[in-house]
Amino acid sequence: MRNKILTVDDSKTVRIIVRKAFKAFDCEILEAANGVEGLAIAAKEMPDLILLDVTMPVMDGVEMLTKIKSDPQLKGIPIMMLTAEGGKDNVLKVAKIGVRDYIVKPFKEDVLLEKAGRIIELKPLTDSKGKARSIFDPATLLVVEDKPAIVQQIQEGLKTSPWKVHGVTSQAEAVDFCAKTPPDLIMISLSLPEDAAFALFRLIRTNVKTKYTPVFGLVVKTETGAQQQAQTVGFTTVITKPIDISELESKVAKAMNLDTSQRYFTTEGGVLIMRVPENCSTSITAEISTYLKPKLSEAVDAGHNKAVIDVHQLRSLHMGVIKLLMQAMQTSRDLGVHFTLVGNAHIIAECKGFEDTRTWAFFDTIEEAKASLTKVPAPAPAMANATP
Amino acid sequence: MPATQEISENLIRENINRAIGEVFKTMLGRQADLCVLTDQTNCWPPIPVDGVSNIPQIVGTVGFLGDVNGLIYLYLDVPFARLATCQMLGMTEQEIDESGDEVINDAIGELTNMTVGSFKNGLSDAGFPCRLTIPTILRGSNFSIEPIAEVQRFIYKFQSAGQSIVTDILIKIGE
Repeated sequence: MRNKILTVDDSKTVRIIVRKAFKAFDCEILEAANGVEGLAIAAKEMPDLILLDVTMPVMDGVEMLTKIKSDPQLKGIPIMMLTAEGGKDNVLKVAKIGVRDYIVKPFKEDVLLEKAGRIIELKPLTDSKGKARSIFDPATLLVVEDKPAIVQQIQEGLKTSPWKVHGVTSQAEAVDFCAKTPPDLIMISLSLPEDAAFALFRLIRTNVKTKYTPVFGLVVKTETGAQQQAQTVGFTTVITKPIDISELESKVAKAMNLDTSQRYFTTEGGVLIMRVPENCSTSITAEISTYLKPKLSEAVDAGHNKAVIDVHQLRSLHMGVIKLLMQAMQTSRDLGVHFTLVGNAHIIAECKGFEDTRTWAFFDTIEEAKASLTKVPAPAPAMANATP
Repeated sequence: MPATQEISENLIRENINRAIGEVFKTMLGRQADLCVLTDQTNCWPPIPVDGVSNIPQIVGTVGFLGDVNGLIYLYLDVPFARLATCQMLGMTEQEIDESGDEVINDAIGELTNMTVGSFKNGLSDAGFPCRLTIPTILRGSNFSIEPIAEVQRFIYKFQSAGQSIVTDILIKIGE
């Protein structure tokens, strides 16, 4: 359920600034212009947090605070003062009545978010339609690594992607970078001196803007202790060196919850084409597998009942690929989709060697495969409602 | 009759300089520097922000009451007030125009509120506790504001990236 934040201030300017500060987070902002309105809205909506000014007409903030604290229904609502009334005496007087925090204006949005984030959980807002970002959308990746060759390797390896890779060499630089441009994903070398990687991880997790940002650890394969520690403290995953770029790319896409289906599935002339890439690692077969049913269902929903499963780029078969292909074929049958296979001479020869794949027939090209499907009748249109 | 007490000009100047600097930096991302004025005693208020008193002004006012009582007037010319509002609210000039003068009035009122709040918090910490009043806004050109009571008066001008800000401080120790 969304958090509700009630901002009580006679200044519409402040209410606009507060609304703008929280717009990247999944919360509802309620507004009141004085203490009387504030009490009414608090009683009706039971907000999760109240931001309260002091100097207001009709009923000021101190009076509203006192009334809330004496109401059994409302006294548990955390209140943070947001007011130009500072000075030690004022702050102490209000603190005695009971507030969770006190911000004196002028204020920076970052400070407001950080303090609010200590009281309620601020979850980043996802797309309102629940649609994941795609593999073709730009993203910012930050690599914290004191070995320039590693940063260059990652930049070079990901250069065909729409992701911008920034390299910094120290914890301090990383903190500065995140303050200016919160990245979409952070990679930290676990071999940074003086445990800086873990200190930086803690800072990242306590900053409300990066609390949910995926964080990868980069470490030499043999450093199992550091890998274990990273997993224990909560790193999203660990990438071992030497870095397998295709594996890294796949893990980055998964961590950022990107829709990668367009890499493997396209529709051409009413036929769904599923392309298995040349290097089909375990993570890639798992990735394709998650999209099989949704993409085939989507095709059927759009009136297409033909599919081509294209493995001609594959260099060799392994159990993971065989299982994937079997799953694709079974799902197609279950959904009433007619399918054909496209392969290469090597794959065809390997298939002959397995019991389960011996009878599989392949075309040499997608065009030939599509042509063979033209004899398949188109699906029947949905029945219209009968009219008397 | 008790001897009239006065607050030192030093204390006033330090606090208003800190307050203006802090508020404009934090809320607008602008530096504001105190100008040195050669003649304050015979200044015709408002000090024309660019030497011409016919330029339309917006003046925010907030008072403070307690061990010291007073008012601070914050003068900006209308174009700067519009710009300041855009910066404070993250809106374009077109959006501001569509929303009407009320948005600018409110923004300048809040800017004044924060400035006077910061100023008087400094006085409170220096041993002169007081609380704020609600902001008001004055718009117009070619006008003057004159106190009727015997008060100390301090006028300061600030520059912020080519724009002028004037603060007119009227202050009296409370009885």
